[in-house]
Amino acid sequence: MSATALVHRPGAFATAGVLRTVDHKDIGVLYVLLGIAFLAVGGLEALLLRIQLATPNERVLDPSTYDQLFTMHGLTMIFLVAIPILVGIANYVVPLQIGARDVAFPRLNALSFWLTAFGGVLLYVSFVAGGAPDAGWFAYAPLTEPSHAVGGGMDWYVFGLAVNGAGTIIGAINLIVTILLLRCPGMVMGRAPMFTWMVLITSVLIIAAYPVLTSALVMLLVDRQLGGRFFDPAGGGNATLWQHLFWSFGHPEVYIVILPAFGMISEIVPVFSGKPLFGYRFVAGSGIAIGFLSFGVWAHHMFAVGLGDAENAFFSATSMLIAVPTGVKIFNWLATMWRGRIRLELPMVFALGFIATFVIGGLTGVSLAVVPIDLYTTDSYYVVGHLHYVLFGGTFMAVFAGLYYWFPKVTGRLLGRRLGLAHFWLTMVGLTAAFLPMHWLGIQGMPRRVWTYPEGLGWDWSNLVSTIGAFVIAAGALALAANVWRSLRSGEPAGDDPWDAYTLEWSTLSPPPAHNFESIPSVRGKRPLWDRKHPDRMDES
Amino acid sequence: MTSSLEPIVFLSLVVGGIAAVILGGVLVALVVFTLRYRDARRVVPQIHGHRTLEIVWTAVPLALLVVVFVLSLVTLGQIGRGATFGSLEPPVRIAVTGHQWWFEFRYANGAVTANELHIPAGIPVELALESTDVIHDLWVPELGAKSDVIPGQRNVMRLFTARPGTFAGTCAEFCGLEHAWMRIVVVAEPRADFDRWVAAQAAPASASGRGLDVFRSAVCSSCHTVRGQVSVSGPSIGPDLTHVGSRRTLAGGVLANTPDALRAWVADPQRYKPGALMPRVPLSDADLDAVVAYLEALK
Repeated sequence: MSATALVHRPGAFATAGVLRTVDHKDIGVLYVLLGIAFLAVGGLEALLLRIQLATPNERVLDPSTYDQLFTMHGLTMIFLVAIPILVGIANYVVPLQIGARDVAFPRLNALSFWLTAFGGVLLYVSFVAGGAPDAGWFAYAPLTEPSHAVGGGMDWYVFGLAVNGAGTIIGAINLIVTILLLRCPGMVMGRAPMFTWMVLITSVLIIAAYPVLTSALVMLLVDRQLGGRFFDPAGGGNATLWQHLFWSFGHPEVYIVILPAFGMISEIVPVFSGKPLFGYRFVAGSGIAIGFLSFGVWAHHMFAVGLGDAENAFFSATSMLIAVPTGVKIFNWLATMWRGRIRLELPMVFALGFIATFVIGGLTGVSLAVVPIDLYTTDSYYVVGHLHYVLFGGTFMAVFAGLYYWFPKVTGRLLGRRLGLAHFWLTMVGLTAAFLPMHWLGIQGMPRRVWTYPEGLGWDWSNLVSTIGAFVIAAGALALAANVWRSLRSGEPAGDDPWDAYTLEWSTLSPPPAHNFESIPSVRGKRPLWDRKHPDRMDES
Repeated sequence: MTSSLEPIVFLSLVVGGIAAVILGGVLVALVVFTLRYRDARRVVPQIHGHRTLEIVWTAVPLALLVVVFVLSLVTLGQIGRGATFGSLEPPVRIAVTGHQWWFEFRYANGAVTANELHIPAGIPVELALESTDVIHDLWVPELGAKSDVIPGQRNVMRLFTARPGTFAGTCAEFCGLEHAWMRIVVVAEPRADFDRWVAAQAAPASASGRGLDVFRSAVCSSCHTVRGQVSVSGPSIGPDLTHVGSRRTLAGGVLANTPDALRAWVADPQRYKPGALMPRVPLSDADLDAVVAYLEALK
């Protein structure tokens, strides 16, 4: 039992206590609120980009502003939205799911949140300190070297990501220790909820991948401020070294933001199908396989760099291989639904949307692992379409599903169905309109990261549709905001277990008390609440 | 083979076909299961898994991917470094240099051009690509693959088209402010036409007049070479203009190469390509007319 339960006062979140809270639930909520605040910012940046690209030869933005906005949009959505929201949900849910009173190191937990937030502030200070980073979120050298990036934007990039990453690394260590050591009696790893499993794997990926980024950032800082030449070919350095370092962080990062999404879907689909997760061991095992393989696929971002045929073939093979454990999960979710009793509550609706969109992103991902196809599509809008299907259609749809699923636990109130369905359909239609045409634009030859484009190339309509889609997504986000607002004021009380769910967080109050459980539970299977409700049909342990 | 794009299209259709079947299967299962089992009123069987099924849906995608992988190696052989595209002729070699924000093309006979790549139809073309500043990437979608253009590294890429034609090309790697306007025109023409063109482009400039004097005395000559008349010391900063009058576009595709457009461009480059390295040069109207007349005469 941690010390925080003793110092935490009920209602502290609403008062100044928010600044010094070390309760995992408060910190989880803070993380999610941080992510939502930056989601609004990153979303507005995306709308500006789409306005500029709506028609050919548009002049709403100048190229300098456009470059800063697309760079900050990517950095924001990955480092300041996806990671904080996923870490926040993990922070809130994992200790409850494993029957613990808090995370292992509550004070470190607060530190990691504030570092993550402060890193975001540093990134955004750049706008008023001479210009934001403008070389894309993966910031290829030598465009970032002092000879080409004369402003301070890249320095803010280094400081912002390093500080933000330190917070994420510390948070991951905390979650690993929590999951390994604080599980309640009876919960061997083979009975841990799948979300907890995926958070564990993601956290291991974070502590393996983020330090590579930090190292690369320090090398870039040496180049920029101390006259180093790591990435400057003119001074004996190597321009592609940055790419190797960045992507050996960057590709695991893709799985860092998708594995917790897999975990949430693996909680929600079984509950709303009235069945256990089909193939628990295969789903957990495929997550581990994805974790390992994710460190051997980075150069599929670099097929056009000219590494050589043997190198390209190797990374092509590993990248195709990683599709197999990913496909396994999709088949397992479908098999979980098979012969179940499917309840189309809002979390399940979003989970179904996730499966439909993620499978598209996954399949286009396989096409990018095929070297000759990649040599055509890489650096084109096809890749932009693919990554948004994976990150928005994948991670964000799962986050929405998780939000509708756990919001009643956090607040004690249900979110409204009508606004929830409006949010769902606006998001599905919007993301299809925004991101599907991008694939076609890439096939037609439109390169990514162009601030404008000429007319007469057949790109006009697809771009206009994409821009309209972005605004439809934004309308969906407003429906979600209205839903949250209404629910907090006058939402239907949720009760402790509104979904007839399986895992321990639903056995305590909504919202949970400071100490989570009256007494530490003990379990004898994967679905402790199912066992409690169905003593005649308990899972075999 | 009709072009270096053809093998990629074939492979894409195979992969796309497999993907479409998988996507269709998943979506159908999703919809059917949702409709069929929605709010089912019966005791739901608590099925925890099925080992054989798991092995099947691990092994079948794996087998499909092995097939795709082997096909991709075959395709790579058809478009890679040693590709002949079914032609018996040795490849025509052209050196490509990426600059912020334009491409330079140098031919074996000394011809130099910018943002306009002429290639012979029916003969493989081997591009040797290097960059003077940051990483660029040369992509002509209708000819298939792309290659990064990297400082300190020499990449080689082979392209081919059997049919003459004009194709749009572009820089595909983000390279700074005017990445968008680093576009090229590729002109594929019959061998005889190509040979005539490349011989003409290798010849020194023939125009003259007051515009040349203005060009020499204004800052133009500190960046732009006009072979036989103006030479820049050191590496080229701006495009070689020896035969600029013969080119189809200006400034990486921002403008069509007409006298009016050229005049507007020289008068205020930043208006059309904000961020371009060419400064606005204060010239009187008379000097501007003279320079434009001179440049347009550089056929």
